Formats: sequence, C-alpha cells, structure tokens
Amino acid sequence: MFCDEALDSVEAVAAGDVTPDGRLADHYATCPNCASALESARTLERLLQHRPTPAPPAQFTGKTMARVRRARWRSDQFLDAGFNLAIVVVVLAVVAGIWMVLDRSGLAAVSRDAVDLFSTGLVAFAQRAVPAAPLYLAAAGLLAMALGIWWWAERDATL
Amino acid sequence: MDHATPADERALVERCRAGDAGAFQELVDRYKNLVFALIARTVQDRSRAEDLAQDVFLRVHRGLPYFRGEARLSTWIYRIVANVCVQEQGHAPATISIDARTSNGRPLVRPSAADRQFGDLELRDRLEKAIARLPANYRFVIAAHYLEGVRYEELAEALDLPLGTVKTQLHRAKQQLRRVLETELK
Repeated sequence: MFCDEALDSVEAVAAGDVTPDGRLADHYATCPNCASALESARTLERLLQHRPTPAPPAQFTGKTMARVRRARWRSDQFLDAGFNLAIVVVVLAVVAGIWMVLDRSGLAAVSRDAVDLFSTGLVAFAQRAVPAAPLYLAAAGLLAMALGIWWWAERDATL
Repeated sequence: MDHATPADERALVERCRAGDAGAFQELVDRYKNLVFALIARTVQDRSRAEDLAQDVFLRVHRGLPYFRGEARLSTWIYRIVANVCVQEQGHAPATISIDARTSNGRPLVRPSAADRQFGDLELRDRLEKAIARLPANYRFVIAAHYLEGVRYEELAEALDLPLGTVKTQLHRAKQQLRRVLETELK
C-alpha cells in the first residue's frame, strides 16, 4: 500500500462511503502523514455537516409572487401588443390588396364614381333632414321616456 | 429533497396549470427554504441569493406549462437551481481571498488556544471562503449534499450525471478544501 492510494481514499473514508479494509486500515495506523490527512478530512466532514443553513427572508414568498405577477403582466402586454400589431398589418394588407385589385381591373374609377354619388346623396339627405331635426329629436326623446318608464315598471315588478 | 410524495407534486402542478391562484404560492412556500439555502450556500451573498432564488421561481412559473412530469417536480426545480448557480459563476467576480498568510505558510491571524469560539468562527469563515473559490459545480454538490433532505440520487438526476460521478466530484471538492485549509484543520 502506497501513500498515494491511501490519500485518494481519505475523503471517502472520512465520509463513511468506504470502510477501510485491513491493508488501508494498517496504512492509516502506521503512516503519520496519511493519518493526519484522514484526521483533517474528518474535521472537514464535521464542519461541512454543521454548516449553517441560510433561511430565506420573511417576505420572500410575497416578493416572489409580486415578481411573478409583474412578469405575467409584461408577458400579457407583449402578447396584446403583438396581436394588435398583427391585426393592423393584416387590415392594411387587405385594404392594399383590395385597392390593387380595383385599380388593375378598372373598378377603381367606378368606385370613385360610386363614392362621389354616395357623398352627393348624403349631402342631399342631410339638407332635407336638418329642418326636421327637432321633430326627430322630440320623437327620440319620447321613445326613450317610454322605454325608461317600462324599465322602471319592470324593475319594480321583479323586486 | 422534500417530504411531498410524487402524487402530491403532480396534484400541485396540475393546480398551477389550471390557474389556481394559491397553488403557485403554495409551491413557492414548499420549496423556498431548499432553493434559497442551496443558492445562498453556493453564491454566498444573501441579497444576490434572494434575487437568484426569485429567478428560479420565475423560471419554474414560465416552465410549468411545458413540464412533462417525467422527473419529479423537486428534481426539476433542483436542475433549474443548478443551472442558475452555474450561470451565476460566469457573472460573479472571483475576488475572495482566503490567504492572509505569513511567508512560512501559516495564517497571519492565529487564534489563541483560550479563544476557541473565535477559532471556530474563524475556521468557519475560512471554510466559506475556501468553498467560494471552488468551481461552480463543486460548490453546488458541496452545498446540496450537506443540505438536509437532499438525496444523492436526486442530485445525480438533476445534474444529469451518474451517481458515481457525483460522488467523485464531491470527494474531489473536499480534497481541494482539505488542501486549502490544511493548516487550520490540524
């Protein structure tokens, strides 16, 4: 038995992972250098076994949960922003596509005429409707009042 | 690692996945002592350890939907802790020096025989500093092995190493510590 072999086993013997057989035990008993190493290893083992266990701070769970919530909120925001951006891109692409189709097929000119016609009609309708606006407002008010009375009566009936 | 059965762990994971507000808090409460102790022993800086322990739980929260349950929850958390500790090694400055020694190799400050308590404290302090100088994987196995409730097998599974390799790493780590602290241990 050489010292190298005995020294290699010192940690395992000190930890109790290896039980020294006859040769190893004899060597530790007769070699002061290896015996000293074994004693040091046993001291180290004891120190490690009694190493203090650090405890988390009292507010640890609360702080961790707050961080989790913040991270989840950020992730949700990121997802929302991405979704909104994707929607905008899709809408723009659809509008651009429709415009290109209309332009190439000559329907754009027709659609411009249709827009002109529609806006002219809208203006004419507005010019006719404006004088009668107080009448429409009064009718809408009466309808709203009737609905309010009905709702109030129904509410009382269910109580 | 903890006293929860695999069935308890599965139930807790399912509750977290189902969006149970209290379930994740329960998970944090159940594992915080282990996670914090492991990290604090490895990085040896309480405030940094707290940040890293919170990072671990953030990763757990993000990863829960993808956790397949092939390993135990505790083993999976353990693996995350190991990764966080090893990554931290890449960022942390290795500035701790344990050596304040005279030219003949003896420590500069030697406690008197009468002041044994101070001697113990000093020895513990030097041990912590010596551990801080070990490579991250050695620091982690030392931290984990001597933490109550952590089994060798779980450690090997978490580190994805054979059991024998974990034991060898542990013995080598202790060998390095013994050599660094040779004078004080005698």
